[in-house]
Amino acid sequence: MICAARRSLAVLILVFGATAVAHGEVYQEPGAFVAEVLGSTPALKVLWLTREMQGQAAAILGHPPAQLRQRYWSDAHKTVWILEETGKEELITAGFVVVDGRIDHVRVLVYREGRGQEVRQSSFLKQFKDAKAQGNRLDRDIDGIVGATLSVGAMERMARLALLFDRLSHDNAHG
Amino acid sequence: MKKSSITLALAAAFGAAPALGQTVDEKLQILQQEIDDLKAQNRKPAAPQQSASPDSLDSSSMLDRNSALANGGTNIVGYGEVGYSKFRQSGNATADLQRFVFGFNHRFDERLTLHSEVEFEHAVVSKDDEGEAEIEQAWVNYKMSDAVNFKGGLFLIPIGILNETHEPPTYYGVQRNQVETRIIPTTWRELGVGMHGIFDESFRYDVGITTTFDSGKLDDPTTGIRSAHQEGQLANARNLAVYGALNYRRPGLLVGGGVSTGDTGQNGASNPALQGVAARFTMWDVHAQYRVGRLDLQALYASGTLGDADKVTAATVAANLADPSVAAFAAPKSMKGWYAQAAYHAYKQGNFDVAPFIRYERVDIQQAEDPANGLFQDPNNNERIKTLGVNFWVHPQVVLKADIQRYATDKTQDRFDIGAGFMF
Repeated sequence: MICAARRSLAVLILVFGATAVAHGEVYQEPGAFVAEVLGSTPALKVLWLTREMQGQAAAILGHPPAQLRQRYWSDAHKTVWILEETGKEELITAGFVVVDGRIDHVRVLVYREGRGQEVRQSSFLKQFKDAKAQGNRLDRDIDGIVGATLSVGAMERMARLALLFDRLSHDNAHG
Repeated sequence: MKKSSITLALAAAFGAAPALGQTVDEKLQILQQEIDDLKAQNRKPAAPQQSASPDSLDSSSMLDRNSALANGGTNIVGYGEVGYSKFRQSGNATADLQRFVFGFNHRFDERLTLHSEVEFEHAVVSKDDEGEAEIEQAWVNYKMSDAVNFKGGLFLIPIGILNETHEPPTYYGVQRNQVETRIIPTTWRELGVGMHGIFDESFRYDVGITTTFDSGKLDDPTTGIRSAHQEGQLANARNLAVYGALNYRRPGLLVGGGVSTGDTGQNGASNPALQGVAARFTMWDVHAQYRVGRLDLQALYASGTLGDADKVTAATVAANLADPSVAAFAAPKSMKGWYAQAAYHAYKQGNFDVAPFIRYERVDIQQAEDPANGLFQDPNNNERIKTLGVNFWVHPQVVLKADIQRYATDKTQDRFDIGAGFMF
């Protein structure tokens, strides 16, 4: 019964969430991304960000995290995060799949800026494949795109945030 | 008993979405923090709000999002730079707030946006000062898709690298390079309508029709066509120009070019001697930037021609005869230049990024001489410039700069520069 209620809530959030993407170029609905990478839509999970976690996230973002209850999805192997970060002046929505502490997959889901759409290129996104956290940075340099510097920076910050959240979610599960 | 019931009830409520690890007390603290943030936000003037993500449903943002535009409101952007130059030959030095620019960008709806920038140059604007206040951009964009956008208003012409992307943290050196100052008249903007978009993920095209220069307004041949610019200020628009640009971008690589062409005589609106003179001005460029590892390479070639330059020269003579306070000069008939630049990101740690660079520039402006009236080529219009410097980003959007410049012809310009720039 409780499981059914949770599943219904998750579906409701996904449905409303998908329709709530108000503007920008929607390349893929966030709900569809989750279903694609997990094969289904499992129960929604929540990572509650304590003040210490907020501080860790802020160190990556350069500002406090937008969500204190970060939703995510997972199965036995991977965690899936739908994150948002500002490029130059508009939010970029991207999906991140993390497996064993490494970025497995990144996709730009909604892009709202007038310029910089090149960050959705596969040749750009594949640079994140297998990237892991090294301190507060990635273990590699990400080649930028001329004219899309701030969007590239936003994607890099979100990748680092996904890795942090993945680790925190596992710490909590074992804590 | 009562307390434990409340706790159980809260636990049941939170259990609607399974959370891991944290205690109920921790969750209560987080919720209280969210409530405090929401209260703080409610005390601020309301902006139009639209949900933007699946996570927006619980409105659990703890910060006043720095992207009001993303939520359907108005956003403020800006950039600026300050510099100090010490000239080698004269020993003189100047310190200048070169520019401070702020802009308001507004989203009317999911497709329609406004982009604007207001620029102040040299700190003070008054009748007796050098400063200028100007609208650098003010245009509306209607986005049908990534591939098809329409725009109209005062906007930047997509030629060169610097003209559209000129925020100080995005280029090397305290001074903007001379090729994209004297040959491509950065920041070159016109009133007009255009279409732009991306196809095949990597190709960006721009086409449009705009106002153009007025060769009757030329008053400084050392900067190519620049002094004939109209910048949307009661622009004479008898003649218009068309432009087109194509750029290919992928990670670490930019290759592209642009062209603009149009008559500039404006039927003598500014100088009657140019009535019936076409004075077609055409400018084009090709450019490339390649980043491999920590190496950042950049090169650009630009070329422009002004038709009927001899008639423009004659028009300046006529203007001088009518009003001796107006100088006669040999108008530029062709202008070309190129530069090559290499930078190496020697130190990257956290936000810190230190990149020494070297740049070589060539500027060649040929003028339509009129020996009978004593109007000749200015030797300083054939220039070679070497720049050696370093950019130190203390944040991706804040940079400190230092460089040494050596001019082959006009040695009075040899200098040492230090400066700082920012963008937001």
